Amino acid sequence: MNALIRQVWATGPLISRIMAAVFGGYALAALASVAVLALPMSKPQAVLTGMLASFAIYAAAVIWVFAARSAWKSWAGLIVAAAVLTPLAWSVG
Amino acid sequence: MKADKEAQRAGRGIRQSMSGLHTWAGLLLGWVLYAMFLTGTVSYFKDELSQWTRPELARLSQVPDQAAVAQRIADELGNVAAGSSQWSIRLPDGRNNSVYAFWRTRGQGQRAFGEANFDPTTGQKISSRETLGGEFFFRFHFQLHYLPVVWGRWIAGIAAMFMLVAIISGVITHKRIFVDFFTFRWGKGQRSWLEAHNALSVFGLPFHFMITYTGLVTLMALYMPWGENAAFKTPAERQQMTSELSVFIQPGKPSGQSAPLASVEDMVRQAQERWGKGNVGRVTFVHPGDAAARVAVARGEAGRVSMSPQYMEFEGTTGKLLNVRDSVGAAAETRGVLYALHLGRFSDTQTRWLYFLVSFMGTAMVGTGLVMWTVKRRSRLRDPERPHFGFRLVERLNIASIVGLSIAMTAFLWANRLLPHPMEARADWEIHAFFAVWALTLLHALLRPAKAAWIEQFWTAAALLFLLPVLNALTTQRPLWHSLAQGDWVFAGIDVTCWALALLHVVLAVRTARNRSIVQSKRMPQVPVAIASSGAAE
Amino acid sequence: MIHLLALGLCLAGFAALAFATHRQQRDIFGKALPRVTTYGLRAAGAGVLLLALGILVAAKSWSVGLVIFSGHTTMAAAIVFCALIGWGRLAARTARRRQNDARVRSVTRR
Repeated sequence: MNALIRQVWATGPLISRIMAAVFGGYALAALASVAVLALPMSKPQAVLTGMLASFAIYAAAVIWVFAARSAWKSWAGLIVAAAVLTPLAWSVG
Repeated sequence: MKADKEAQRAGRGIRQSMSGLHTWAGLLLGWVLYAMFLTGTVSYFKDELSQWTRPELARLSQVPDQAAVAQRIADELGNVAAGSSQWSIRLPDGRNNSVYAFWRTRGQGQRAFGEANFDPTTGQKISSRETLGGEFFFRFHFQLHYLPVVWGRWIAGIAAMFMLVAIISGVITHKRIFVDFFTFRWGKGQRSWLEAHNALSVFGLPFHFMITYTGLVTLMALYMPWGENAAFKTPAERQQMTSELSVFIQPGKPSGQSAPLASVEDMVRQAQERWGKGNVGRVTFVHPGDAAARVAVARGEAGRVSMSPQYMEFEGTTGKLLNVRDSVGAAAETRGVLYALHLGRFSDTQTRWLYFLVSFMGTAMVGTGLVMWTVKRRSRLRDPERPHFGFRLVERLNIASIVGLSIAMTAFLWANRLLPHPMEARADWEIHAFFAVWALTLLHALLRPAKAAWIEQFWTAAALLFLLPVLNALTTQRPLWHSLAQGDWVFAGIDVTCWALALLHVVLAVRTARNRSIVQSKRMPQVPVAIASSGAAE
Repeated sequence: MIHLLALGLCLAGFAALAFATHRQQRDIFGKALPRVTTYGLRAAGAGVLLLALGILVAAKSWSVGLVIFSGHTTMAAAIVFCALIGWGRLAARTARRRQNDARVRSVTRR
């Protein structure tokens, strides 16, 4: 029983990273696709730019999550990026 | 000194984590990706396949005059689809021998529409066996089947994201592969799966990356609607963006007065003057037969790598040119180019073959990757004779997803030739046959020992592919010798390609069988020397 | 026609680039070629590839030409690569056969 608990505990960081990559990454990409509207270009072009770039951002976020030294660092990186983008996205909303 | 060691350890750490990410990103949806890749590869010739699946339709030795065809079909739609608020006609180019048209019908809400294929020379609806033809593989490629369309597209999109991550992590893991490309010791030893996977990945890397990213772009409005939702509050604003993406005519209200359409032929002729004789693509009618009718004639796909809209808008009842749209904003043009790169519709025949071959290499890359996982894992098993459930599952799914798909796709074409026509829901039954055969290959893979299953399915695929042109000769009036004699490169090309693919499957079957005997023959080389020495001693 | 020309040029270009690597030189010629030859091969290879690109862009447009170029470079690289593997296998087989013959000869001579 102890061994099982230890095993589950050990996979915690991995599961955390998977959550960060799959959901955190998507959220970040979505956030970026809204934040881009704050750029000085016409609305349709800005919307399209945001969509086009979103997949690169998602992929970069996933790579970051698994390249970071620890699961905590993975989340920290995503949160920092989100903190930068959120005010921009809010100003558009 | 210490900083160097730290950097080295960090480098190895990244290499390892990216390697793990690459393996799992590739493996988890690898089977879906393989199916998407193979059906996508085949889709580059979907128009040709659609011709092959309708052998009753005579081939067109020349592309008919698009202007005349447009008029004929428009006249026919006036009978078939009178009262419809919107028609759309796809004019024939060198690759189709029928005209595909669809129109809005007064059905449930706004989504109802009718569709049909028309003969370009007579304007009448064609009568040939009911089939989806090449369109089945094309649609399966990005929205699967039996699922609500949106779910299928989401699954395809998720798979594409996994692929994108697999590509990027693969490059990070093997950074040196580009530098060492021609200096690697390739081709030595039994690790052919690993080397094949690496080689295929490297050659086609620009293509694989491009095709994956552009695939996501084609459905980006579905995957990332947030910007659109945040920016546009009214339908009018939304239409601003729609007009950057495709031919867009202000729908407007019909006046209620009926008035005949002006000469569609003239409108298309003006477009031909602008873009070239055979380079008119789609003709769209809004409120045809009404006084407020509008007609948009769009440019064809040849000669430019972009799908961004270029069209001429005419007043329907008078034929007066109202507006020419030939450019869009920078982001919209970028999206147009990326979309065009994915579909490759601008290609001439040789370029289309290039797309097919490189995409085929991509398919093989995914397949060899899946197999490589089982090969590597087997060497790490505690008891190779009795692998654990997860391993066995992956091994069997590999067989059904890889060779099984070849068998199923060929079975679809067999069904096209064998099912009686006319038949109720015939097109659907061809598709049921595809899935039924695919399910059978999975059953076979589960019941047989793995190696035997691979070999038996390779031979089955080879036989089905080899016999398909024979079946064609027996069941239609267009056997290979006729096609060759008449220069019908569509039919001849497909028949010959089937034979080439059959040969490929034979080679794979033989190599897989031979792999077994390599393990046994390890003891052989010592024997002749022993005999020779003992013989000499006597 | 232009496709054949482009593919041929790309094949020549990649073959030259392959021969400009020491590994291949040792495998095929038995020794490393002089440095000047290596640099020359590298320059020639790159030059021929650029020539192929130029011809394609001139014949078609920039966009279509670039796409076709990327297709031909992929195919040409794959073909040269497979040819090198085939050469390597052939060379290994003849070397092994010569070794076996020599061994059998030395045994039976006794």
